[in-house]
Amino acid sequence: MATVAMTAAAIAAGWVGVTASVPRTGRIEGTVRLVAPDENPIVSGAYPTRRVNKLAARSSEIRNVIVFLRDVAPSTRSARSGSGVPTLAPSRIEMVQQDEAFVPRVLAIPRGSTVDFPNADPFFHNVFSLSRSATFDLGRFPRGDRRSRTFTQAGLVKVYCHLHSHMTASIMVFDHPHFTMPAANGTFVLDDVPTGEHRLSAWHERIGESAKPIVVEPGRTIRVEFSLPVEGSE
Amino acid sequence: MNRPLPPRFVARTTIATLVMVALVLTAVFVSVAINVRERVRSSVTDKLDAGQRMLFALEQRRAREMAVQVAMLAENPTLKAALDTYQSERDPAGAALRREMLATIERELDKLADRIDPDVVAVTDQAGRVLAAAGRRAVEWPLNNVVRPTVDDEGNAYVAMTSGVFQFASAPVALQENWIGTLQVAKALDARYAQELSSLSGAATLVISNQSVSAATIDPAIAEAISKQLRLGPPAGLTLTANRVEYAVKLLFQRGDAAVYAVDSIGASTRVPMQQALRAVLFIAVGSFICAAIGSVWIARTVSRPIHKLSAALSEMTSSRNFDHPVPLTGVTRELDQLTDAFNSMMRSVVRAEAETESAYVGAIRALALALDARDPYTAGHSERVSALSVAVGRQMRLPDDQLEVLRLGALLHDIGKIGISDAVLRKPGPLTQEEFEMIQEHPAVGGRILRSVSFLAPHLPIVELHHERPDGQGYPFRLRADEIPILARIVHVADAFDAITSARAYRPARGSADALRELWKHAGTQFDAEAVHALAAAMPSIELTEHGRLADDAGQTASRLALVGGGERT
Repeated sequence: MATVAMTAAAIAAGWVGVTASVPRTGRIEGTVRLVAPDENPIVSGAYPTRRVNKLAARSSEIRNVIVFLRDVAPSTRSARSGSGVPTLAPSRIEMVQQDEAFVPRVLAIPRGSTVDFPNADPFFHNVFSLSRSATFDLGRFPRGDRRSRTFTQAGLVKVYCHLHSHMTASIMVFDHPHFTMPAANGTFVLDDVPTGEHRLSAWHERIGESAKPIVVEPGRTIRVEFSLPVEGSE
Repeated sequence: MNRPLPPRFVARTTIATLVMVALVLTAVFVSVAINVRERVRSSVTDKLDAGQRMLFALEQRRAREMAVQVAMLAENPTLKAALDTYQSERDPAGAALRREMLATIERELDKLADRIDPDVVAVTDQAGRVLAAAGRRAVEWPLNNVVRPTVDDEGNAYVAMTSGVFQFASAPVALQENWIGTLQVAKALDARYAQELSSLSGAATLVISNQSVSAATIDPAIAEAISKQLRLGPPAGLTLTANRVEYAVKLLFQRGDAAVYAVDSIGASTRVPMQQALRAVLFIAVGSFICAAIGSVWIARTVSRPIHKLSAALSEMTSSRNFDHPVPLTGVTRELDQLTDAFNSMMRSVVRAEAETESAYVGAIRALALALDARDPYTAGHSERVSALSVAVGRQMRLPDDQLEVLRLGALLHDIGKIGISDAVLRKPGPLTQEEFEMIQEHPAVGGRILRSVSFLAPHLPIVELHHERPDGQGYPFRLRADEIPILARIVHVADAFDAITSARAYRPARGSADALRELWKHAGTQFDAEAVHALAAAMPSIELTEHGRLADDAGQTASRLALVGGGERT
C-alpha cells in the first residue's frame, strides 16, 4: 500500500514537474495567535484531579501548533532536483519521555522519518498508538533505554504511555514538505510553496484547526494571519 | 309488697373501692399511654434526625469516595487513548477507526461497570454529549444525548432524566492537563436506592420526584397518602397523619425535583411499648383489684361484724325481753362503742320508764283490789293475805323468782272480777241462791276480761282466770283437770281457800289455821292441789299473818302495810 501511494505521488510530482513553468513557487509568511483560554471549562461538577507528579516545564502552547498546506500532492523521496518541488527529507528526531511527559509534545515530521523515544525518567515508560496512520505498541522499557519507530504513512499519530495515562503526544506525519511550526512569537514562514490555490491550516492538538484558502503566486510572498480557535466557531 | 333489701355493707365498700381503683387505674393508663406516645414520638423523630445526620455524613463521605474512585477510574490509559484518538481523528476516512475507538471505550466502560456495579457509567465529551454508556440503566442515557447536570450548594451533582433523577460523581478524563471528556458514574434515586437507604437508616424511605412517588419501601398506598400530605406543604411539626396513622417524616435530602424522605410509623413503633405498658397496668390492675377487694371486705367486716353482734344482742334482748344486761361493747371501733353505750343508756332509761309505768299500773290495780276487798268488812285484806300466802307456798315449792313475782301480783288481783258483782250478792250474810252462786262463779272470767286489756299482765291472767279450777275437774269456769291447771292458779286456789276458812264471815266465825289445814288436807287431790296444800302446810310455821287481827282497817292502810311486808320479804 505504501508502495502504491508512493508511486501515485511520484506520478503526480512528475506531472507537476512536466507542466510547471518558471517560477513555480511562492512564499507564505504569517502569525498564529492563540486566543483560547488556557483552562478547560469544568463540566459535570467533576472532581478536580490533584497533581501528583512534577510537571514538565510547560512550554508555550504556540510551540505545539503546526502550520501546513492541505490538499498538496504527496512528494516523492526521489524528486528530481531542479523541478522546483522540494523533496522529502526523512529525518531522525527524538521525543523524550521526561517527567511523565513527552517532550516535545507535538512533532511534525516528513514521511519516512524515525522518531526515537528515549526514557529519561527513573521508571518504566511505554509508547503506544491506536491511530490509523500507525498502530503500534513499543512495550515497556526502563530509563536510559529507548524505542524507535519509523512513520511511513502520513497522518496524525497520537502517542500514549500505558503506564502513565496522562501522557500524550501528537506526531503529525506529512507526505509533503510544506509544513512548519511557528516561532515562540507565533510567526512562521513557508518557502517554496507551489503556486496555485491551496488551503493553509493552523492546527493545535486540543484547540483545533483553522484552515484558510490561499492563492500562491509565483515569486510572490503572501501573508496569512491565524487566530486559534477560529472565533465564533465551536 | 316487699321493699327490696338494701345492699350489704361489704357490697357497698367493695363496689366503691373497685370503682375508685378503676378510676385511678384508668387515669394512670391514660397518662401512661399519652406519655408512651409522646416518648415514642420524640424517640422516633430523634431517630429520624439522627438517621438523617448520619445519612448526610454518609452521603457526603460516599460522594467523596465515589469522586475519588471515579477519578481513579478516569485514569484508565486505554480509555483515554481510545477517547483521545477518537476525538483526534477527524478525517472522514477515519470513520472506521472512530467506530473502533468507541467500541473500545464501551468495552472499557463495561469492564468498569462490572467492577463497581453502577446504575450508569458513561463517558461524555466536553459538551456533555454521551459518547458511550454502560451499566444497569445505561439505556436511559442514550448516545449523543446531552447530560446537563445540576450542582447544588453542597456540591451534589444530579440530573433529571425522563426516567427519573440520577445523582452522580464524575471525573475529568484528562491528558496532559487537557480535558478530553468526563467519566460519569450515576446512581438512580430508584427503588433499589430507597432500599439501600432504608437498610442504612433503619427507617422506611420514600422518594418523591415531580410530586409523585417514584420509589418507596413502604406500602404504596401509604406512600401515596404521605406524598399527598407533603404536596399540601411541609408537615406541621415533624409528624403527619396519613390513612389515620401518624408518621414521622424527615426530609433526608433534595435533588432538584426529587426529594428523599425517611418515614417511620409512630403507630407501629408505639405498639410494642404500649402493649408493655398495658401489660404492666393490667398486672397492677389485677393486683390492686385484689388488694382493694380484700381491703374493702376487711373494712366492711370490721364494721359489719360488730354491727351484726350488736344487732344479734339487740334482737336476743328483744326476744327474751330481758333488758337487765347491757349490750356488751365490741371494742372494735370507738364509734360503735359509743353507739352501744348510747343504746345501753337508752335501754336503761326505757327499762326505768317501763318499770315506773309498770309499778304505776300495779299500784293502780292493787288499789283497785284493795278497794274491792274493802267493800266487805269480812274480806278486807283478803287479796293481800292470799298474795303473801301464795308467795310463801311458791317459795316453799322452790319456784323461780320471776314466777314468784307473777304469783305475788296475780294473787293480789285474783278476785278483781268480783268488781262486777253487786254488793247485795257479795255481802249477802246468808247462803246464796243458785242464781247468786252462778253470778259469783263468773268473777274469774270477768277478771280475765279486765286483765286482758293490759298486756304486761298477760302472765298473771291464768291466776285470775283459773284460780277456781279443781284437780278433779269440778272447778269453774272451764272445769280443767289436774295438770291442765297452771301451778300458779293451783297455789292461789289453795291460798284463797285457806284465807277464806281462817277469816270470819257474817254467817260463821273464823277458824284456826290448823283447822283450816285439816280441812284442806281433807280435800287435797280432789278440790285442792295436793302438792300446794303440802307446801302450805310446810310453810305454815314461817307465815306470820300480822294483819290477821286488823280486819277492820281501811283498805289504804292495809295496802301500805302489805307493801311494807312485801318489801321485807324481798330482802
